[in-house]
Amino acid sequence: MQSRLLPLLFLLSAGLAGVAWIVNQGRLEPADFAFANETEVQSLDPAVVSGQPEGRIIWSIYEALVQLDPEDRSAKPGVAESWEVSEDGRTYTWAIRKDAKWSNGEPLTAEDFEYTFRRFLDPTTGAKYAQAMWYVTGARKYSQGASGLKVGDAVEIELHQRPEGALTHARGQMLRGELLSIDRDTGYEDAEVEAKDYTRRHSFLVAVDGEERRFHVTVEPSPSEEWQDCKAILLDFSEVGIRAPNPYTLITELESPTPFWPELIGFYAMSPVNKTCIETHGSPDWTYPENIVTNGPYEVQFRRIRDRIRLVKSPTYWNRDKVSFNVIDAMVIEQTVTQFNMYETGQIDWVPKVSPLISRELMAADPPRPDYNPGVQLATYFYAFNVTRPPYNDVRVRRALAMALDRDEIIATAGAGEMPARTMVPPGIPGYTPQPCPPEDIEEAQRLMAEAGYPGGEGFARVQILYNSGFEQHETIAELVRKQWEKNLGITVSTRKEEWGTFLNSTSRLNFEVARRAWIGDYTDANTFLDLFEGDNGNNQTGFDNPEYNDLIKAAGRETDAAKRQEILMEAERLLMSEVPVVPIYTYVSRSLVRPSIQGFWNNLQDSHPLHTLYRDDELTGPNNFMEDAVPRKEGSR
Amino acid sequence: MIAFIFRRLVGMAVVLLVVFGISFALVNAVPGGPFQGERALSAETIAALEKQHGLDRPLLEQAWNRITGYLTGDFGESIKLGVDVKDVILQGLPVSAALGAMALVFAFTLGLTAGILSAVRRGTGTDFWLMSTAAVGIALPNFVVAGFAILIFVFAIPLFPAGGWGTLRQLVLPAMCLGAPYAAYVARIARTGMLDVLSQDHVRTARAKGLSYRSVVLKHAMPTAMLPVVSFLGPAVAGVLTGSPVVESIFAIPGLGWHFVQSAFNRDYFMAMGLVMVYTTLLYSMNLLVDLSYAVLDPRVDLRET
Repeated sequence: MQSRLLPLLFLLSAGLAGVAWIVNQGRLEPADFAFANETEVQSLDPAVVSGQPEGRIIWSIYEALVQLDPEDRSAKPGVAESWEVSEDGRTYTWAIRKDAKWSNGEPLTAEDFEYTFRRFLDPTTGAKYAQAMWYVTGARKYSQGASGLKVGDAVEIELHQRPEGALTHARGQMLRGELLSIDRDTGYEDAEVEAKDYTRRHSFLVAVDGEERRFHVTVEPSPSEEWQDCKAILLDFSEVGIRAPNPYTLITELESPTPFWPELIGFYAMSPVNKTCIETHGSPDWTYPENIVTNGPYEVQFRRIRDRIRLVKSPTYWNRDKVSFNVIDAMVIEQTVTQFNMYETGQIDWVPKVSPLISRELMAADPPRPDYNPGVQLATYFYAFNVTRPPYNDVRVRRALAMALDRDEIIATAGAGEMPARTMVPPGIPGYTPQPCPPEDIEEAQRLMAEAGYPGGEGFARVQILYNSGFEQHETIAELVRKQWEKNLGITVSTRKEEWGTFLNSTSRLNFEVARRAWIGDYTDANTFLDLFEGDNGNNQTGFDNPEYNDLIKAAGRETDAAKRQEILMEAERLLMSEVPVVPIYTYVSRSLVRPSIQGFWNNLQDSHPLHTLYRDDELTGPNNFMEDAVPRKEGSR
Repeated sequence: MIAFIFRRLVGMAVVLLVVFGISFALVNAVPGGPFQGERALSAETIAALEKQHGLDRPLLEQAWNRITGYLTGDFGESIKLGVDVKDVILQGLPVSAALGAMALVFAFTLGLTAGILSAVRRGTGTDFWLMSTAAVGIALPNFVVAGFAILIFVFAIPLFPAGGWGTLRQLVLPAMCLGAPYAAYVARIARTGMLDVLSQDHVRTARAKGLSYRSVVLKHAMPTAMLPVVSFLGPAVAGVLTGSPVVESIFAIPGLGWHFVQSAFNRDYFMAMGLVMVYTTLLYSMNLLVDLSYAVLDPRVDLRET
């Protein structure tokens, strides 16, 4: 009998040895600074990512033309040591610093930016933020690919075959010419062909070097008698306002004066990428730590999926003497409670976003915490109406619903230090005064409902509030809004919870009545909140399409005088807030928890914090940069 | 035995194919897609991305590409993480397996000891307390157990770290929390099995021959009493692996569990499908191993006949 148990015992000890071995593989020297980077990053390719966890990594391993100041997010020299703006505000000339290098030691030049920006705009790259570069002349058209083309345009044609001697993943051979006509393939009826379906069922007649040639976009090389197959057909990139006249000069030409352009071009998505690296390895292999070539203060040492990304100080970075930490760990810790536990037990030094529940506790802590200081953020939580659906197409109904809300109750019950918002644009943007929506006024709300034909809520179809699962707060707020609307207006309200992916699908297809949404500003300017509601903006998702509003946003884009431009934007917000396709609920506050010995960390409107400015000061006795502006708590208040 | 294994392997191929078919249909039936996000993408970009991932092909062609991919060890590329699904599995599976193995070791040592103890001391206070604790252990979900374990062993008595991966100490708490309900099950099963064996003739004979009670229990009764426990192992492995997303995320452990859940939310088609296939293979082979181990533990089992 004993002998029967022996193999089991052997298996058991072998298994345990295996466990010990696996665990040992994960053993590491501790980093100089570790923080909770929330979730796993989507990629290390700056062009294709979106989101804050990605931003923290991309901004550390790459450096864009400018750096954004950690305190006020204004543009400071980055790879460009200086820049000049033309008188009409439309041409920016960037002087690339001569000591800018790639992590492989090669110099970084203006051509690298030309390559980066072209790739960023190329529709096949799939850049989520490509729209941020549409301010550049021709950029919008270029990024729309074949469907943006018109007869007479200068075009570039990418063939399937690569030029002699090109790298494995380089672009195909390029031809340039003038587009003469776009013709539908024979055999398709009008109804079958979607508008703008140019890449699939159309051929293009192009004059190349004086010779008329017909091209057709195909997935794979597939030669034909009628036309020549090609991979893509785009606007000729020389029509786009990006030029590198010499290795140390880059010129960007804008459609209209865009005062926030330097800040925008410092956004992580516009970080330079290395052409040779990408063309050698292809996507996504070039982003693997063993292949990637970067230019920022840090390099990726390794990426352990779901565990961490380890960053080490780059020996080739031009400003390496100013970088303090040698090793930084960006930990993947999904659960906010776990992040907090690991912070409290000293495993990490920064939690970027504590949960609302913990935030309440931290704010009520006595004595006050030396490491928690919520600051206003450029982000608005709002409810959106589907204005294409009755009765929400009636502005009186929308106004009534907006006026029957009690934001103070919402924040007291579901919030954690947020500020009630009555404007779409959050406060804090220099030179801009946010314009409020109709005030909270229940009597007026009831009167408006009666005027719209629903006295006392009679005959008003049931309202359904759509929100996404995953955050308890959304549910609490939806329930509160339901209670307030039912009580104040006498209508019936229901709620619908959808999982994130389904929710996005529903909102983008306008398959809702009232939906919970939020918007985080991309740059410190009111435009980032207002152009959202232009009729043709993909993120509008309310069905709101007001010609007067669209004109105002366009007029603001053309205006060269800064003060006048702000006036126009304010007028636009006034219009938006009187039409109320959206009801602002609250302005977000940051919820960073930062170790008191960490310096070089400031609260800012975008809640975005570069890692290379951080340093540790163990001798520090007073408040650190982060806590400097903390308001001493009043007795008995939260 | 070899014929038995062969038959089961053929069965596995069929099961995998059916699982593939169902999950492929489900993945494609869910509303939304991998390229939908807070920021709307232009139609041109979505078309380019779909082309890049081969999602513009007819569904049957996509299914065929997947199957041939799996056969050659190519699991495709995660749409959301920009890495090969194979790399995700190669990095995550050992971690999940280590955690699961520790949890099972914990469940078996603790459960078996408690079960045998309460069987031998049937009707006493020890029996009562052990079985009551087991009942509670079964009833409590592991995130509740984890909450208490963290409060006690991280904050009250700082013995273990709050989370992370890289040392054996970081593995103790999660393994305990993951294993706790299984320990409780094992205790109850072992107790029943032991009581059953203890009342059988061969045990009485052994006692009559003058062997000590201790040696009768450990040498003669235990191997047979363990049979029901071993047959519990199959489903337990299943539970430990699929039950780990919660524990892995509470303790920030870089296992596969999180991907399993998140890939569905993200509509990361290749990741979700790849993980389903890996889990199916894993569960099927675990059950096969359990069946094989019967032959070792119980001489009455003859695999040639089954």
